[in-house]
Amino acid sequence: MVKNELIKKSPLRILEKSTHGGVGAGNIGVFTAREGVGKTACLVHIATDKLFQGKHIIHVSFAGKTDHIIAWYEDIFQELAIRLNLENTMEIHDEVIRNRVIMNFNQKGVSIEQVVKSLHSMIEQAEFAADCIIVDGFDFKYGKPEDLAVFRGFAAKLGIELWFSSSLKDHDLVFNADGVPEVLVPFLGEIAILIFLKPDKGEIRLELKKDHDHKLAEDLHLVLDPKILLIAGDDK
Amino acid sequence: MTFGIYFIILWLRKQNVQISTAAIVLYRKQLCLSSKKSCFLVLAAISGDYYTKGNGLSDCKPHIFYEKGKRKRMSVNISKMRNIGISAHIDSGKTTLTERILFYCQKIHAIHEVKGKDGVGATMDSMDLERERGITIASASTNVTWKDTSINIIDTPGHVDFTIEVERALRVLDGAILVLCAVGGVQSQSITVDRQLKRYNVPRLAFVNKCDRVGSDPYKVSRQLREKLGLNSILMQIPIGLEDKMEGVVDLVAMKAIYFDSANAGEMKIKDIPANLADEAHKRREELLDAASMFSDELAESYLEGTVTEKQIMDAVRKGTLALQLVPVFMGSAYKNIGVQPLIDSVLHYLPAPHEVKNIALDLDHNEEPIEVKADNTLPPIVLAFKLEDGQYGQLTYIRIYQGKIEKGTEITNTRNKRRIRVGRLVRMHADNMEDITSAESGDIVALFGVDCHSGDTFTGGGLNYAMSSMFVPEPVISLAIKPKDKKSEDNMGKALNRFSKEDPTFQTYVDPESNETIIRGMGELHLDIYIERMRREYSVEIDTGAPQVAYREAITQRADFDYTHKKQTGGSGQYGRVAGFIEPNTEEDYTFHDEIKGGSIPREYIPSCDKGFKKCLAKGQLIGFPVVNTSVTIIDGNSHAVDSSDIAFQSAAVGAFKEAYRKAKPEVLEPIMKVVVECPNEFQGNVFSSINQRRGIIVSTTEDVSFSKVEADVPLSEMFGYSTILRSISQGKAEYTMEFHKYGRVPMSIQEELIKKYEQSKKSDK
Repeated sequence: MVKNELIKKSPLRILEKSTHGGVGAGNIGVFTAREGVGKTACLVHIATDKLFQGKHIIHVSFAGKTDHIIAWYEDIFQELAIRLNLENTMEIHDEVIRNRVIMNFNQKGVSIEQVVKSLHSMIEQAEFAADCIIVDGFDFKYGKPEDLAVFRGFAAKLGIELWFSSSLKDHDLVFNADGVPEVLVPFLGEIAILIFLKPDKGEIRLELKKDHDHKLAEDLHLVLDPKILLIAGDDK
Repeated sequence: MTFGIYFIILWLRKQNVQISTAAIVLYRKQLCLSSKKSCFLVLAAISGDYYTKGNGLSDCKPHIFYEKGKRKRMSVNISKMRNIGISAHIDSGKTTLTERILFYCQKIHAIHEVKGKDGVGATMDSMDLERERGITIASASTNVTWKDTSINIIDTPGHVDFTIEVERALRVLDGAILVLCAVGGVQSQSITVDRQLKRYNVPRLAFVNKCDRVGSDPYKVSRQLREKLGLNSILMQIPIGLEDKMEGVVDLVAMKAIYFDSANAGEMKIKDIPANLADEAHKRREELLDAASMFSDELAESYLEGTVTEKQIMDAVRKGTLALQLVPVFMGSAYKNIGVQPLIDSVLHYLPAPHEVKNIALDLDHNEEPIEVKADNTLPPIVLAFKLEDGQYGQLTYIRIYQGKIEKGTEITNTRNKRRIRVGRLVRMHADNMEDITSAESGDIVALFGVDCHSGDTFTGGGLNYAMSSMFVPEPVISLAIKPKDKKSEDNMGKALNRFSKEDPTFQTYVDPESNETIIRGMGELHLDIYIERMRREYSVEIDTGAPQVAYREAITQRADFDYTHKKQTGGSGQYGRVAGFIEPNTEEDYTFHDEIKGGSIPREYIPSCDKGFKKCLAKGQLIGFPVVNTSVTIIDGNSHAVDSSDIAFQSAAVGAFKEAYRKAKPEVLEPIMKVVVECPNEFQGNVFSSINQRRGIIVSTTEDVSFSKVEADVPLSEMFGYSTILRSISQGKAEYTMEFHKYGRVPMSIQEELIKKYEQSKKSDK
């Protein structure tokens, strides 16, 4: 399969369609789930999909080591390349690496202002024209809505799309009437799209909990394939 | 007379009396001694006296001394052994401190200052370059004994550039003293040194030196350790007076004042804490107990109950230090003999013994799988050669024994080349002096004589095929032509190059058959610069250097067919051969040759000739004259002639065929891409980003904490020339970088064209 077809056929197009064009520049999308359910896999799949489109990605991590994150990207890339029989794998791989940078922070020690300053440096001084920033491991319990507002302001100024992950512990599995985890309720004003990953009978379903200011669509019909950790249609 | 002495020595040896090797050496060499002096020398040796002064020996420079009582060393209990390094910023007094430690351990009887008026220089500085600069570059190991504990002090290089030296030294030490200047505090180089220790997980103590200087403030330095280095530093002492009024320290564990008699070699007097310091001492002790109780529940309980013992505090601090979560801070002035003895005590108390540190070997039979080695004398020996030195009596190899024990006569195998050697002369080192020993045990650092090996080699016994450091040696990526300026330099250059390439496998040297120039190859500009400088300093070799040359490669990008006939008739028997087939890219290997001839169109005996012809072409590509890699050649057809076909004819046919196909296969130039890691304070991160961007670099990742950033990037080597200077200027000297070869990558078209143009011009000018 050539790259363009792969982009067209990606299940992520379904996600974009169901969410009125996706997150969009200057907005924040969030994947939330219990630990170990597959938030990072979703984020890396979204990032890889954008990299295939020739877009530039900054992957901000507050948790993992960079080697670990690079391994995630390699796995997802290989999986997509093999499953979809991608042509010119080596060249595309080189391009993907060129267009991706990983920035790792220690959230406890580093302020959000410092993170944003470093992102600025990366975009301006390293001339890395990011289209999307993935923020994995941001601690919503430790962070404040103002922190998210700082990110959003920065993204809006530079026309960048932002994707976050939010990890829930067992005792965080308390939801409001709309099915939004209570931990995230104070942040809803800053979040454009919120997706909850729900383990359900051997599969992980992607449930849309917020879609900009639109009324929620019925079902995304998307699952995270637990074997290959890629987002896929649910064939229903 | 000489025969008389000879027989005396023989007789004494038979009687098992230990005689100074020096005596024998001096005797054998008949070094300008009268018979009377020779006799005195031998007798002095037998009596076991030191003879450093007043015996006329200063003229004949004996290098080896007999040391009283040292031969009686019995098996060392491993918990009574320490391997430590002393790491510091230049000018923070590291060498003076080392000298004082040696003095207090009664190894040497005269204290030399670094740039001593006596011209002797401090004992640990064994290279002239170091003496001249007052800094220490090469690591020598020296053994001392303090309160029945054997301490090997590995003199670690303080300079950032000497990476291999630093790595080797850091590998073999189990703990370190980080020396800081009480005035300068944590300076940029202290940051570098500390980061090196962090990288190798070395537990450390801090010693705030030079407290006698104007403007000294050990409290500030301890704070800086926290703020600038992110270390959990905790004061173990407080000063009694500062600057020229410094008299000693208050020990916050024992809660006693220790006074030092500066004029009388730092003689200690223990007294009660002076009244004016009582409050401060109690406050600081509380801080110490708070920090230490994090590592011991027992201490925490006793603390609450008010029954804290000294041992509890020391055990907790030790636990925290070994876990790399606590850095106890000591202070004093090595120069004024203040605070040194408690510091040596603290090495015993708080730094690990060899068996308390986890060491990993790589199993060469199982793809370098990591295996933990155990400092156990009953297991087969595993020994790392970490430093070589050229001495008067041949190569001296410093080794660390990670597992097992070795004795004179033990057979061990060098796992790099599988050569077996027998342990001959085994010595324990004190900078330039040495002591003969018969065995050495797990955890110890000693030296071997007369062993031919490279630095970094691992020796094992019992059939173990392990290596303490990876056997993988990357290909050098940069080369430089060097030319000696005069005859003397020419002679010494060979010696120097031979030694350096033994010390460092990534440093290689050869003579270019075309230009007849000596080429040195290494892993970067700085890497080669260091060796050129060392040649100048250590071997007085004056050389002219050419411009550094990047090791480019050429590779084809698509399949191309060939069908070439080589025909030559010049009277007599001619040359005839035809080869047909194709070349194609092969990312797995540099070169593969496939013979798919059916029906014998090329006779079997000429197939290797074809292979040889193709290989010949790979040595020099047509684009810019660099080796061609990643190529697969397949021959499928050909023709031969009963009389005119020959080995040479088919070789020529293959050369012609390759030339024909090469251009069609769209060759491109590849360049070495380096993995560059820059570490800098956060405020310079943006500058580092743009410097990498300007060099066609790709930033792969960044890691940031409160104060420091690490930037990892892939940058073409050709763009890295002069980067250290640039980096220094954009970071006020506070950033440092390392680089290693990563891969070969495609050169951008515009640069490729430039390289081709340059190559063609040089070809023309050669004609």
